[in-house]
Amino acid sequence: MSAHGSIPVLRIGSTLLASIQVELRDTIADAFQEDILQTIAKTGATGLVIDITGLEMVDSYVGRVLTNTGRMATLMGTHAVVVGMRPVVAATLVRMGFRMEGVLTALNVDAGLALVSELIARRHGAGR
Amino acid sequence: MPLQYYIEKLNLDEAELQSRRDFFEITADDLTTLAGLKTFAEKHTDDIVEDLYRLILGHPEAKKQFTEHATLVRVKRAQRDYFLGLFSGRCDLAYAQDRLRIGIAHERVGVPPKWYLGAYARYLRSIFDRLVVELPDPAQARAAYQSIEKLVAFDTALAMDTYIAAQLGALERHQAAIRELSTPIIRLYQQVLLLPLIGTIDTHRADQLMEAVLLKVVEEQAHVIIIDIAGVPLVDTKVADHLLKTTEAVRLLGAQTILSGISPIIAKTIVNLGMNISAMHTKSRLADALELAFEIIGKRVTSSARNHPSAPAEATEKS
Amino acid sequence: MTVLSSENLILASEDDVMLARRKVRLLAETLGFDPFATAAITTATSELCRNVCVHAVKGTARLEQIGSGGRTGIRLEVRDEGPGIPDIDRVLSAGQRSVGSLGLGLSGSRRLADEFRIETIVGRGTVVTVVKWKRPT
Repeated sequence: MSAHGSIPVLRIGSTLLASIQVELRDTIADAFQEDILQTIAKTGATGLVIDITGLEMVDSYVGRVLTNTGRMATLMGTHAVVVGMRPVVAATLVRMGFRMEGVLTALNVDAGLALVSELIARRHGAGR
Repeated sequence: MPLQYYIEKLNLDEAELQSRRDFFEITADDLTTLAGLKTFAEKHTDDIVEDLYRLILGHPEAKKQFTEHATLVRVKRAQRDYFLGLFSGRCDLAYAQDRLRIGIAHERVGVPPKWYLGAYARYLRSIFDRLVVELPDPAQARAAYQSIEKLVAFDTALAMDTYIAAQLGALERHQAAIRELSTPIIRLYQQVLLLPLIGTIDTHRADQLMEAVLLKVVEEQAHVIIIDIAGVPLVDTKVADHLLKTTEAVRLLGAQTILSGISPIIAKTIVNLGMNISAMHTKSRLADALELAFEIIGKRVTSSARNHPSAPAEATEKS
Repeated sequence: MTVLSSENLILASEDDVMLARRKVRLLAETLGFDPFATAAITTATSELCRNVCVHAVKGTARLEQIGSGGRTGIRLEVRDEGPGIPDIDRVLSAGQRSVGSLGLGLSGSRRLADEFRIETIVGRGTVVTVVKWKRPT
């Protein structure tokens, strides 16, 4: 388990689970992104679940950091899923016109882990 | 409805009052003139209110409003207060609120505008007849009368606004009730929600719908929501846009939306408008949407083994 | 329209942006705003205050509780002496991809607020005012 600043990252098999519980300031968000990418590089994780159940507010900066983290992880070969977005956050992002493109989403951590497993299985299946 | 409701609806603050005073050309001089006529008013108020009631009681239809003596006494007193209020020398927020209260009282009792407005006109005639006696100088009389007329017009506007606001209020309450009844989000099955939309979708309703949908999806941890629009009479770019926004927001939560009830007309409209709704699952029949929903959550509808015609279909796990 | 309370804030660091967010959220919750409206005004606050710190180094914000007719609302005025924004109309109307964070923050805030006003002079600075009203029940 690694933690940079205040976002703990758990390893569940070859999947990383990051739960964001604190109000995010820009510098923490940036550090989080860096930490995740380094951890993926170091561990060769094939899955990444970012749990944002604890976030009351996601503005365009944090939204971009989350989206980009997901995309960067994907480029590194990791299936990334953002889970647990709150209704008020989803409504605000959509009303702002902010699009979270290129990132998978799931309802909760379980659903996120299940999705990651399915994607990993499919990839292995397709490769055969 | 309480006074506060009307104040809110009419946006009645100092700026609004100033705007009204300006347009009705009510100046400080007018108010001074009116305050100066207070003694005159007190002298004649009983007669003037009597003039009004002679008119009402002499008119068969109007008379019906005041069948009970108790009502008559109460309303006469209210009219007296109203009349004297014209000569208070104020036209401020407190004055406007007093006038609103009177309008509300009449609206509550159900006095229609025609009696109300006719009464104002009667007052002006009664005042004029007595004013020219009180002020023999025609210039003075004219000036005084104009001040009174301006304020009566100001009051008339507030009275009309009260009536309109009350009617709109009733309408809004009915619309809200209809909205409540027509947007239930139903838990169709584990992880599957259904929202059958009925009636027109305007921006306000669309906003509320999106919020209700998002809250329900998270509350139920539903993987799919079917939004059936067969009951929506008009689907134009705005409505389609709202549905797209809702679908995107639902996706952010980690769930999927299926739009069903796409009629040939709606399909034509959407394509002809050049709208891109490829991000949404769409079906024409609710039954098909249901099957798709089950597929998404990993279930399948099959017939049970028995060949009985009324044997229920079971939802089984997909292998 | 009346101003029922007013508070001035400095915007020079990330901490200031966080504080502004917290104060706006607290005010919205205290006034009984619904959660969606609270999120909207808090997010708009974050966008506007961040813009100041990032693009103008520093500025100030004035947070007010306002009333009009019978309504209650929150007004936030964010002011800086930064470079100003050239071509403001284009910046406001552009979508996510074509402009940088400044444009997205501004257009996003405009969409989230009930009222939005911006005055900007290149070389002098910018003032952005947003208002969010409490939904009548």
